[in-house]
Amino acid sequence: MAAPLEKRIILADYGKPDSHTLSVYEAGGGYSALKKALISEKDKWTPDAIINEVKASNLRGRGGAGFPTGLKWSFVPRNTGKPTYVVCNADESEPGTFKDRVILEDLPHSIIEGMILAGLALESGQGYIYLRGEFYKGWQRVDAAIQEAYAKGYLGENILGSGKTFHLATYRGAGAYICGEETALLESLEGRRGHPRLKPPFPAVKGLYGSPTTVNNVETFAAIPHIINNGGDWFKKLGIGNEKSGGTKLFSVSGHVMKPGVYEVPMGISLIDFINETAGGIRPGKELKAVIPGGSSTPVMTRQEAMRAKLDYESMAEIGTFLGSGGMIVLDSSTDMVQLTKRLADFYAHESCGQCTPCREGSKWIADIIDRLIDGNAVEEDLTTLLSFTKNMGNGTTICPFADANVMGVVPIVEKFYDEFLYYLEKGKSGEGK
Amino acid sequence: MRAVENYTFSAKAEERFKKLETQFPERESLVLWALHLVQEDAGYIPPSAISYVAERVGVSRSHVQGVISFYAMFHDKPMGKFHLQVCVNASCWLAGSDELEKTIENHLRIRPGETTPDGLFTYNRQGECLASCGTAPVVQVNADYHESMTPQKLETLIEQLKRNS
Repeated sequence: MAAPLEKRIILADYGKPDSHTLSVYEAGGGYSALKKALISEKDKWTPDAIINEVKASNLRGRGGAGFPTGLKWSFVPRNTGKPTYVVCNADESEPGTFKDRVILEDLPHSIIEGMILAGLALESGQGYIYLRGEFYKGWQRVDAAIQEAYAKGYLGENILGSGKTFHLATYRGAGAYICGEETALLESLEGRRGHPRLKPPFPAVKGLYGSPTTVNNVETFAAIPHIINNGGDWFKKLGIGNEKSGGTKLFSVSGHVMKPGVYEVPMGISLIDFINETAGGIRPGKELKAVIPGGSSTPVMTRQEAMRAKLDYESMAEIGTFLGSGGMIVLDSSTDMVQLTKRLADFYAHESCGQCTPCREGSKWIADIIDRLIDGNAVEEDLTTLLSFTKNMGNGTTICPFADANVMGVVPIVEKFYDEFLYYLEKGKSGEGK
Repeated sequence: MRAVENYTFSAKAEERFKKLETQFPERESLVLWALHLVQEDAGYIPPSAISYVAERVGVSRSHVQGVISFYAMFHDKPMGKFHLQVCVNASCWLAGSDELEKTIENHLRIRPGETTPDGLFTYNRQGECLASCGTAPVVQVNADYHESMTPQKLETLIEQLKRNS
């Protein structure tokens, strides 16, 4: 059942019994886009035509960065003499984000169909789905779906008699947030420690095994069959805001709302309407205090900022934050922002891969300062030190954006709720916190 | 549990490994997969498995060791039969994960990283978000998620696990 304001495209079958199986997926129109592209409209759907349709849809990468998917695909060179790889990033681990898990566990065939279509667009014969190791049930469901798709002739050699080939296999990570960064993911998929690579070269040119590669998010692939079936223009116009943010988007909302969960809504709807109507509103007797809009690495919004926000890439940027992964954490007036910061700071300190000094040391420093503050041992300079050294943590001083993500997740909380940090400082001085 | 001295794949792991060998053009990719198979067999990565995996995949022992130490899910020491992990990231904390941590510490008398003397339970705080924020707080027991947890439900679960072991 769709919630208020929901527009279910990707989630159309979510909640139906056995939605993870091939028969339910096919009954809802599954694999019809593939059949069009391979059989009934095969002359129309050249690789360029598929890429152009995806470009026209204004679908943007749903993992968090929001890079236009069609454009990303167009960077992948063809006829290089090397194989081309299609990789699905199912390492969902951005705190507050749990939308891909729903697709992996309950709608795995939509990912598979999207990846085969990507394979046609990029003339690739091999795909991999990289799942975070913790997603054991998701892996079982995806693995079973792949076997069903092979048995039905959607995967393998000579798909549906078309002469095209696409193989698909799974890979399991083993507990490392950094492997959601696409070059770290590729390192991991090659059997090594998940250390991000210097870019350029970008994966489009030199990705998996040194070959042209596209890495896209679970939700991104799941949107592709609908774009091929209904057209890029149709998808773009599902969004009700500005044209650059096309389609519907999955949002996973948690924290102090009455109905946490995963919802699919048109891009561009008002954030506060989404919280109040779709997610059931704030808990009774409490008021909205702040919103982390798109996973813990997106800058926190105050209540005032949240009141005027719209759920699309551009209006989030205007407020100085990001739509990110759509992993929204809603905070009410009872939230202790210093304790919240500790949870995030500890997480980043633990997950820094350790390659670059500013990130490895900086993330530890942030966590140490927040710990001192909570333990009542901090001095006033600690907070100014934190706000000073964090300016040198990201900003191109590191190989990947992890340090930037850490700073964006933590520093705006300190800046926007500074009084609460000072309160802990005072409590420590008086000996109360010790 | 599979013998940990002179570890070799079980028949089931061997079969899966043979299939995996056909799926990846470069053998190095098999390192993580092989370690997952070892851990499913033995419950952890015993020292003898390091040379075994290195040999089967065709990489150095230090490469395998480096991979084990990088990824949080690979354990180089024996674990309790049930590995309890309480997610303590933002959304689970907002939903009361502190109380779940206390429940485990009071009920099983172990701290994070420790195993009960009977070898049944190992307890860890899981700082990495488990993507169960809509059904927070979550406790992962081995591969399974137990969602929308309360201290009461967690106590019942622990007692059930004790009885069924």
